[in-house]
Amino acid sequence: MIFHSLDFVVFFLATVTLYWALPHRWQNLLLLVSSYLFYGWVHPWFLSLIFATTFIDYASTRGMEMWPHRKRALLWLSIVTNFGLLGYFKYFNFFVENVAAVLGAVGWHVPLAALNVALPVGISFYTFQSMSYTIDVYKGHARARTSFLDVATFVSFFPHLVAGPIMRSTTLLPQVEAERRFSPAAARDASLLIAWGFFKKLVIADNVGVIANKVFALNAPEFYLLWAGVFAFSIQIYADFSAYTDIARGTAKWFGFDLIKNFDHPYLAKGPSDFWRRWNISLSTWFRDYVFLPLAYGISRTIKADRVLGLDATTWAYVVGMIVTMLTAGLWHGASWNYVIWGGYHGVLLAVARVAGGLPKPRRRIRRWLAPLQVLGMFLLTNLGWLCFRETEFAALVRDLTLSPADATTLGTQTAVYLFGLAAIYSAPLWIQSLWVAAGGPDLVGAMLSDEPSPRWGRVAAQAALAGVLFTGVLVLRSLTTLDFIYFQF
Amino acid sequence: MVRRSARSWLSLGLVVAGTLAVPLGLRAVSPFLRSPKAAPSYIPAIETPRERAPFDDAVVTDLRNARPDYVTIGDSMAGSRINTGDLSRLVRGNGVVGLFEAARESAYWYLAFKNWIVEPGIRPKVVLFFFRDENLTDPLFRLWRGTLDRVAHDREPRLNEIVAARTHGTYYRVHLAAQALYQHDTVRAWLEPKIVRAPLALAADGPEQTALLDAMNDQVFALEALRPMAAADMQEADDAALDFHRLLPTSVLPEMIRLSKESGIRVAFVRVQRRPEGHRPPPQSRALQRYVSDLAAYLAANNAAFHDDWGDPDLPLDMYDDGDHVKEEYRSHYTAVLFRKAPGIFR
Repeated sequence: MIFHSLDFVVFFLATVTLYWALPHRWQNLLLLVSSYLFYGWVHPWFLSLIFATTFIDYASTRGMEMWPHRKRALLWLSIVTNFGLLGYFKYFNFFVENVAAVLGAVGWHVPLAALNVALPVGISFYTFQSMSYTIDVYKGHARARTSFLDVATFVSFFPHLVAGPIMRSTTLLPQVEAERRFSPAAARDASLLIAWGFFKKLVIADNVGVIANKVFALNAPEFYLLWAGVFAFSIQIYADFSAYTDIARGTAKWFGFDLIKNFDHPYLAKGPSDFWRRWNISLSTWFRDYVFLPLAYGISRTIKADRVLGLDATTWAYVVGMIVTMLTAGLWHGASWNYVIWGGYHGVLLAVARVAGGLPKPRRRIRRWLAPLQVLGMFLLTNLGWLCFRETEFAALVRDLTLSPADATTLGTQTAVYLFGLAAIYSAPLWIQSLWVAAGGPDLVGAMLSDEPSPRWGRVAAQAALAGVLFTGVLVLRSLTTLDFIYFQF
Repeated sequence: MVRRSARSWLSLGLVVAGTLAVPLGLRAVSPFLRSPKAAPSYIPAIETPRERAPFDDAVVTDLRNARPDYVTIGDSMAGSRINTGDLSRLVRGNGVVGLFEAARESAYWYLAFKNWIVEPGIRPKVVLFFFRDENLTDPLFRLWRGTLDRVAHDREPRLNEIVAARTHGTYYRVHLAAQALYQHDTVRAWLEPKIVRAPLALAADGPEQTALLDAMNDQVFALEALRPMAAADMQEADDAALDFHRLLPTSVLPEMIRLSKESGIRVAFVRVQRRPEGHRPPPQSRALQRYVSDLAAYLAANNAAFHDDWGDPDLPLDMYDDGDHVKEEYRSHYTAVLFRKAPGIFR
């Protein structure tokens, strides 16, 4: 089931109404049943995978508590099983294609069978979330839960099931276990968040996405046309993914849950590490905690010399750890080399920024003047990354990167200017919001969200007006081409 | 505490009410955005109020006078194939009247059947519809603004429901209700072209802007400029959408069948063959073959005749003019072939 369908609206209204009429344990059961209904709506067989993941992690963590001396083996059982399922359904064909290509290159043509099944949506998200629970129990950061219902509800909680934000067991499981009370104030804020999410998806992301799709469907786009398409895609992916998160957070709030904020104006980032503090925050912190930090500690312990090639052990640990982590994060996005290239590109950016961070810094006054240039520079670097992310054919990527503006035709340039302008018009609310924040103003939507029990009527009136304007925008300006959420495919 | 809770509930109610009430402003402005002569469309599901051309009742008068045994309905595919004079001689009796209109499709044919034949009480023995591939179950194909004016009454509720269901899916009544309440499509019809055209000012001078828009569509984003995979994906998507049983409920075909049964007029459907490839019939995907087979079974179950030209060796490439049209000099040949090979229709 997808958020931007009337199926979901009916499903949500029915579920939330019944939910608040039930006692706590029954609420969790309803959440589990409705989450499975939501997930299995189109492909019921997907449910067997999420159930298997849940059961393995529940059993592993219970085992860790019952047999502490087998903890490590049980952790490996969870990791191997989870990665096995993920690997089989998401990466099997990628693996087979690459093996066949390598064998073919040495003249050995072996017919290898490909898997002909739909990629289970959200498998990367819920696998990581479920695994984080097992790892947290293994490390002693969380206790093993006895209630299978609670763990299954934690893994499958439908608002964020297919595209995050990825919630840690230490944050979400206590909310599953706790008694919840309906808060009209939270529901009020949630309604605004949901309206903003729908506006971003249906008006901004889908209208601008049509432009990006058109350009990337071209066989040989010219220089300016290509970059107009990349610009459109950079808006689309941000509006699309942050819209999903906002709708997920708003929906969860209606059920009495708080999901973490996943975006913080990422295109205002002044550098690579700043970007990753603002973009897909739940995933970047997951990789930081479960991949980068253990890897970096391990690398720093293995380097015995004080300095290698002019860099100290800590910097080397960061550089190597970060590049490996980002390559893995790239592969997490999809079974295709372009995602690996995208991840590697960001890993290199982060590593270079780290090394450059050791250089003398300009004075504070100059830094203030430099800030807009840093934002612009990082935005352009991010766009270059999005080209790698969006362009799935390696040969086309090489061609794109070697295009010259000198070869552009008048018609191609005019088309690019037109598409650039059209993308800018549709995304104006997003830019206005971010520029307002950059100028020191509060986040226009975020500032209106508050869980205060006693309402301030001026703020309520502003919320009502803004939600109404957003709904009006959806009615009048929504794209007639409805696109899937981009992160569904991951 | 109770008071605070009541205020919280009130604040939630205000936000929900605001969300639903603010768009009512669209209703207030929409009368100023349309022509004073504009009348509500007969298909409000997809059309804002506009000035329309009148219903053509002269056709009804002509049909009353001619009292034909056969009426043929179709677009240029039928017009370039059927010689009504020849067919009249072949069928004898009161002969044949051809109601051909180029670039019109199933919604037009349905309204022509309903408003020109069934409702005025014209009673031919058979009404023949000529179509290509999946046209019969695509009510939106060639449904451009004003193309149905000649055959449509001021209200066409059944067609409107069909079009709404095809456009908006299961919950189309919710869309229709929202449209009736907010009238947002009027504002959209006014605003969207302005947004789409606004950035043209950055790229070209005033008089050249329309030409630039055309050049973008016809040259920059022409089908030949697409990647082969993208073009193939489009074909694949079309094939995936070719499910007769899924398309049928949101098409005009069941209405045509219903009208036929209620009026006692037999209906017949002729699938014309697209342009052959050399000496071979035109290729058709497996999905299309399945679709045609399902269509044939449906028509047979509803006592409607069906004839498929595809693969007929008497319809070679030489007959074809541009595209799928047939040369004028072969019109009599086609008419004779159809009469000979579809005895079920002309019995």
